[in-house]
Amino acid sequence: MLQCIFLLSDSGEVMLEKQLSGHRVDRSICAWFWDQSISQPDSFKQQPVIASPTHYLFQVLREGITFLACTQVEMPPLMAIEFLCRVADVLNDYLGGLNEDLIKDNFVIVYELLDEMIDNGFPLTTELNILQEMIAPPNIVSKVLSVVTGSSSNVSDTLPGATASLVPWRTADPKYANNEIYVDLVEEMDATINRDGVLVKCEINGEVQVNSHITGLPDLSLSFKNPSILDDVRFHPCVRYRPWESDQILSFVPPDGQFKLMSYRVRKLKNTPIYVKPQLTSEGGTCRLSVLVGIKNDPGKTIDSVTVEFQLPSCILSADLTSNHGVVNILGNKTCSWSIGRIPKDKAPSMSGTLVLETGLERLHVFPTFQVGFRIMGIALSGLQIDKLDLKTVPYRFYKGFRALTRGGEFEVRS
Amino acid sequence: MAPPPPQSNRSPSPSQPSGKSEVSDLKSQLRQLAGSRAPGADDSKRDLFKKVISNMTIGIDVSSLFGEMVMCSATSDIVLKKMCYLYVGNYAKVNPDLALLTINFLQRDCKDEDPMIRGLALRSLCSLRVANLVEYLVGPLGFGLKDNNNYVRMVAVIGVLKLYHISASTCMDADFTTILKHLLLHDPDTQVVANCLAALQEIWTLESSTSEEAARERETLLSKPVVYYLLNRIKEFSEWAQCLVLELVAKYIPSDNSEIFDIMNLLEDRLQHANGAVVLATIKVFLQLTLSMADVHQQVYERIKAPLLTQVSSGSPEQSYAVLSHLHLLVMRAPYIFSSDYKHFYCQYNEPSYVKKLKLEMLTAVANESNTYEIVTELCEYAANVDIPIARESIRAVGKIALQQYDVNAIVDRLLQFLEMEKDYVTSEALVLVKDLLRKYPQWSQDCIAVVGNISSKNVQEPKAKAALIWMLGEYSQDMQDAPYVLESLVENWDEEHSAEVRLHLLTAVMKCFFKRPPETQKALGAALAAGLSDFHQDVHDRALFYYRLLQYNVSVAEKVVSPPKQAVSVFADTQSSEIKDRIFDEFNSLSVVYQKPSYMFIDKEHRGTFEFADEVGNLSISAESRESVVPAQRVEANDKDLLLGTSEKDEGRDPGSNGSAYNAPSLNGSSAPSATSQPLADLAFTTTGISGQAPVASLAIDDLLGLSIPVGTAATPSPPPLNLNPKAVLDPSAFQQKWRQLAISLSEEHSISPQGIAALTTPHALLRHMQSHSIQCIASGGQSPNFKFFFFAQKAEAASMYLVECIINTSSAKSQIKIKADDQSSCQAFSALFQSALSKFGLP
Repeated sequence: MLQCIFLLSDSGEVMLEKQLSGHRVDRSICAWFWDQSISQPDSFKQQPVIASPTHYLFQVLREGITFLACTQVEMPPLMAIEFLCRVADVLNDYLGGLNEDLIKDNFVIVYELLDEMIDNGFPLTTELNILQEMIAPPNIVSKVLSVVTGSSSNVSDTLPGATASLVPWRTADPKYANNEIYVDLVEEMDATINRDGVLVKCEINGEVQVNSHITGLPDLSLSFKNPSILDDVRFHPCVRYRPWESDQILSFVPPDGQFKLMSYRVRKLKNTPIYVKPQLTSEGGTCRLSVLVGIKNDPGKTIDSVTVEFQLPSCILSADLTSNHGVVNILGNKTCSWSIGRIPKDKAPSMSGTLVLETGLERLHVFPTFQVGFRIMGIALSGLQIDKLDLKTVPYRFYKGFRALTRGGEFEVRS
Repeated sequence: MAPPPPQSNRSPSPSQPSGKSEVSDLKSQLRQLAGSRAPGADDSKRDLFKKVISNMTIGIDVSSLFGEMVMCSATSDIVLKKMCYLYVGNYAKVNPDLALLTINFLQRDCKDEDPMIRGLALRSLCSLRVANLVEYLVGPLGFGLKDNNNYVRMVAVIGVLKLYHISASTCMDADFTTILKHLLLHDPDTQVVANCLAALQEIWTLESSTSEEAARERETLLSKPVVYYLLNRIKEFSEWAQCLVLELVAKYIPSDNSEIFDIMNLLEDRLQHANGAVVLATIKVFLQLTLSMADVHQQVYERIKAPLLTQVSSGSPEQSYAVLSHLHLLVMRAPYIFSSDYKHFYCQYNEPSYVKKLKLEMLTAVANESNTYEIVTELCEYAANVDIPIARESIRAVGKIALQQYDVNAIVDRLLQFLEMEKDYVTSEALVLVKDLLRKYPQWSQDCIAVVGNISSKNVQEPKAKAALIWMLGEYSQDMQDAPYVLESLVENWDEEHSAEVRLHLLTAVMKCFFKRPPETQKALGAALAAGLSDFHQDVHDRALFYYRLLQYNVSVAEKVVSPPKQAVSVFADTQSSEIKDRIFDEFNSLSVVYQKPSYMFIDKEHRGTFEFADEVGNLSISAESRESVVPAQRVEANDKDLLLGTSEKDEGRDPGSNGSAYNAPSLNGSSAPSATSQPLADLAFTTTGISGQAPVASLAIDDLLGLSIPVGTAATPSPPPLNLNPKAVLDPSAFQQKWRQLAISLSEEHSISPQGIAALTTPHALLRHMQSHSIQCIASGGQSPNFKFFFFAQKAEAASMYLVECIINTSSAKSQIKIKADDQSSCQAFSALFQSALSKFGLP
């Protein structure tokens, strides 16, 4: 089980240290860790599970903050990593973001949270709702309140009822004047197009995100028009398994507020909404590059926030790139980004220019990979559609809102 | 009132401390506030506490404020309390005397009306971890376990575990485990139940090495009623507690197949849990349960495929890496099941290289007739990757697939394309591969040689690639026009060749070339042999000398030796043994999978048992050169301190029973123990393990061989060594018990018993009298046929040192298991021999 958790800033400073067992883990481990991670050319390349001479370290990096956990015994690695991810999520929600200043300003709260989330190395609860009942978030209201009333205790004096209830994710009896629930389908398209322009892989990872504000203990059921297209699904603990197994209906008592009801994967899609066609021709020490972007299968909604990014190979001395639409930027680290925005109806955006190679190099051997980003509001490209959402137990009316959104995920085009 | 400027808002937040002067500053301020009851005092206290804690957080030693902090701790403000608890918990260990001051207010808080405060106080009380304060813990813990609030009970249960780690005897004497056992099965709150499970597992695992009863208790955790009770409630548990329960279920052995299916049906939906840790723990249960049922096991693979692949593609990069390592393990075990999912293992551009590496290995593994073409096409794209190590790996992967025999035709073309890519590292890797390929498929030599012939040896720098090229030049010199001349020019540059491997290959290649094309090569051969003979590298020199003598003796014999007709290699040796792979598989959902090593190779067993020397290790200066020298010494120290658990290296090899996952092969043990945490896991170098490991291993192996191979009853009994026992030794039962608990197991062995012995062992008493005649007294015995259990003791003549023996005899298997504990470790072997000889004479007329 975990012995210690450290929070490190992006300069390697120990911002917080939480010892979990009787065997203190010396801080020097952080110095060791930091030496290791700066010796890596790219901090992203550091493995999440590493062995130091004395401990096994798990690390999760969020917004420049490293969550580092140490252990000396065998344990499920995913448990440690998942836990650290949850800690990061909870802190993010509590502090309204994650950065060095926020953590340093609120370190008492962070300690309090860690105290309730893990004891003696065993994770206890990471449900935000339960934690919020035990430790009030440092929001503006409570800050104002504390100034006015002079009592600034951010600890609620009641224990959460939910810890004992059968629906641990839900706080007892929230009350709302307006009952409303919003369901968002958020999809990310991962695609790989190889050098020959063939779509070798295309799949969608989607989530059903729900924001629920309903009085009492509502029992909801959500169904899709075409659940059969889903390849694999994962559920929030609130989802009952049997109705899904027999009728593909999501039956659940929702947590209060924002949560991820379900995530799913749809494989083997045949089409991408846009095409990106890079072309590179080398001759006599220079390389001519042109990239064409356009709509391939019109989804019927506007495609916007289109970006194309790629890393110039290190053997390129200079690049001169222009586009007929959008803005081309070449950053210091040889990252070239072309932000197109919305694809115009009348012309296909293109970027072209020349790359000057290192002296002595005749032609280019290393070819960049183009990463494409886009966003389509109002449609889930997997084709998944919500059929209906019903409220069973509670008799009153409530407002239902549905939205859909598709983004480019790991969408890459090789050249 | 005007709103305060934003600047002042920030002032209570931790400003950068300036060091010593600030600490003394804080000290005086705290003093002033200590007795103050003035309104607003709490606010100023809170600011001060915050400053103190922020100093502590940054790493400045503020332990000198301990007294003042405790004085200020009399407050009703819960935030202040929490900060105070935090501070006290951090520094109590270094200030045991002052910690006593805090006991009072913590104990009072443990009786507070508010369950939150009761819980917090109890948690802090147990977190003080000061050994001489444990007496104050027992009372509050006892109340806490019976508290009517689940939060307090939850804290108290973990508190028991904390107490156990501070002082095991106090914890056992207070008999908290009985209460935990009750709570485990009866508490309405699942978190309490989960904590009980965690605590009991840890306590009994640690206790079981010394106490039979604890071992039995640990077994009951795995009994059907307990497991079923937990399984039936599993949906009520928090996701983390579910992981714990699933971990337990994975160890459960169902009595029949229908039970297996029941459990799997019950847990089926856990595979769709949002928490990856739960999913992986469930997968482990499924895999373990079905190990013996091949067809169902297969279905399980099919079933878990989708959840695993989803886990990989969703989630953060860290999570996906951990899942990917597990997927990697499964793919390597059953590649055919994943062969249609090969596209999931395609590398994404901005994945970290360790992920790409795993994926490349999986791509290699899942390649079969139907997908080879696509996989190889994909791999070839990576050869132009920006990341050079990955480019290399992918070329190697292409080669490996080629060696798997699928669609070699297309692959050879690709490899030859690599050779023409004019990138030095690509050429190098491809050369090595072409060489391996030719060894397996000599029929491709024509095509390959044509391309290889065009490569100028000057463009190849890497030793491995150069060696490969030279090998081909020698092997196919009759087909390559200018082979002798290329070799000759290489020989001319002998002195510039730094790699001994290349020079060795060069010698051999020139020899081979000589046999095929003598007139053209003669000159080069002479030069090579001359250069080789004067080479400073021993191997090169020896080989040159060997060739020279061989040629002198008989040229045709030399040809037979150096250049015999080649046989195609059918299988290249696998690097990892299947036994190791199996062991990693058994440890599914653990660190072993991530490191691709069974945990005995990297987790020190001491750590699994107890955290005893974690502190020292933590304070070690972590420098590379000190590692090897420090760790063995430390082990000795740890062993001395930690007799309770019997951690000397010898015991571990001998005592398969004392540790849940002990290994029977002594050589494994020897290498595992020292490798411990000191090893950078990347390469387990056996040379370093030798430093502390070799001596005991050697003797151990021999001992074990002797002990196991000589049937004690029939063969000549080992002559009793010169160890004399006191025939009238006395030891009262309580003293025996105490000793048994204190001492470590010094020997643990298994022997077979002669048939006559078994026949005579109708009642325990028969053996008692017999052993008594050999001056070995029995203190307790019991059991019924076929299982008997005895506790013996003996005393060395004219010395106080005692030997304690636990002996379990199974008459149906004619085996006896013996555990010996001794005051005097050195004579333990001798005593063991004596004991055996006495035992072996049992039943003989």
